[in-house]
Amino acid sequence: MLPAQIVQGDGSTSDESELYASTKQVNQFFRRFNGEEDQKGNRFYENDKSFRETSLRKDYITLLFDRENQNISIDQKKSFINDVTDKRNPQFLDFHREGWFAEVNAVFNRDGQQENILLFFKIQQEGKGYEWVLEQVASSYYQEFFDKDEGDEKAFLHPMSHELDFMNLHKSLNQENAVDFTGDDFEVDPLSIFLYEMASKQLQFKTVKNSRFHFFQCEGWYFQITEYNRSGYNSGWLISDLTKLQRQDIPKLKAFIYEAK
Amino acid sequence: MKLLKIRYIGLIALLITFSAGAFAQTDDVSPQRKQAIDSLALEKVRDLSKYISIIGDKETAYSEANRVMDRAEELFAPDSEMGVSSLTTEEIEYYKVRKYFERLMALNYDKVKISWYDIHYISDLEKQPDGKYVGIVTVYQRFEGSSDDGLNYKDTTKKDITIYVEKKKTQISGRTIEFWDVMLGDIRVTETSS
Repeated sequence: MLPAQIVQGDGSTSDESELYASTKQVNQFFRRFNGEEDQKGNRFYENDKSFRETSLRKDYITLLFDRENQNISIDQKKSFINDVTDKRNPQFLDFHREGWFAEVNAVFNRDGQQENILLFFKIQQEGKGYEWVLEQVASSYYQEFFDKDEGDEKAFLHPMSHELDFMNLHKSLNQENAVDFTGDDFEVDPLSIFLYEMASKQLQFKTVKNSRFHFFQCEGWYFQITEYNRSGYNSGWLISDLTKLQRQDIPKLKAFIYEAK
Repeated sequence: MKLLKIRYIGLIALLITFSAGAFAQTDDVSPQRKQAIDSLALEKVRDLSKYISIIGDKETAYSEANRVMDRAEELFAPDSEMGVSSLTTEEIEYYKVRKYFERLMALNYDKVKISWYDIHYISDLEKQPDGKYVGIVTVYQRFEGSSDDGLNYKDTTKKDITIYVEKKKTQISGRTIEFWDVMLGDIRVTETSS
């Protein structure tokens, strides 16, 4: 930018070095994780000596954790860093590959009341390039309509209802929760409800509060990144959650995230 | 005078565009071409930075500020917005670019100093479905406002600026020359804790 270096009261330029240290974009998180840029943010390319160099990656990834988060143990961090920088099978993040998605905490208006809805987006190839597409939404408002009674006393349509032209729907649907009449394989699709509500103007977009990203691209691991807007040398987009994960448990964890539990 | 200088810089930016076009034969962005595009994008961002400083400066005459706002608007793709949040209000407020400049001009301080950190970060370029490239340039701005009655306000804001990069063609002396053009788009403005 303009050569107007900010000098502090003591003559230092410490906050500028903090800005260099900050992981300023998700793009920079990718590059640092992969060892694809120098400390000033200048990009390395495949022919550069330092491109994806292991020791550089180890240094960078160590700095990519939220240091104030006590839930990620030092041993766990070490294990993760060793896994993803293992020279025999190094693991890199790829912007275009499946296995990561965005969670956006957005605010909508419903009947004059504000309502938070989580929107989940993934990157998809489209036309000549790529786009973020809406994959799922999560809303506590929707959830209350789908609490299905699974008990012995649950309401039901008796098995001879068909002989009555289903006239008993009059009582069932007016007096009971309609979800109780769905089959075992029924699955709620909040995205379709959301789209219907947007199209019918029952919901109006207001603003975005924040966003975070979930990663499943490193075999055996799940991690999440969040933006930390704070002073010091540990700010910007940092790892806020890390857990070991078996491949077969990925769908379960994704479902958990989508349900915003 | 300020405006003339910026126009001169704009001319240099255009020449850079053509020199980038000299090796623009395919749609792919090679590392060399990326560097040329980055330079061009940074020129546009520098122009914007200068325009913002002029618009915010209380010494700038109203008529000149309006002319500068016109020039600044020309840097942007149509319908571009500024999305602003502060440390106290997490939610984003949206302003059309012109409205944002007008608010900046109307700030109720007697003195305003806008400076820019000597730091920027340029993302990779990603192709959109329509074939245009999109990237983000991050810069940091320092704002200091003071009033004669002793009211002082300071903040540092992070500005994540969208850049659209598109290959265009023009005719010069009967020859078709391809060149890469850069337009600015939506800007996310976040107050930082620095």
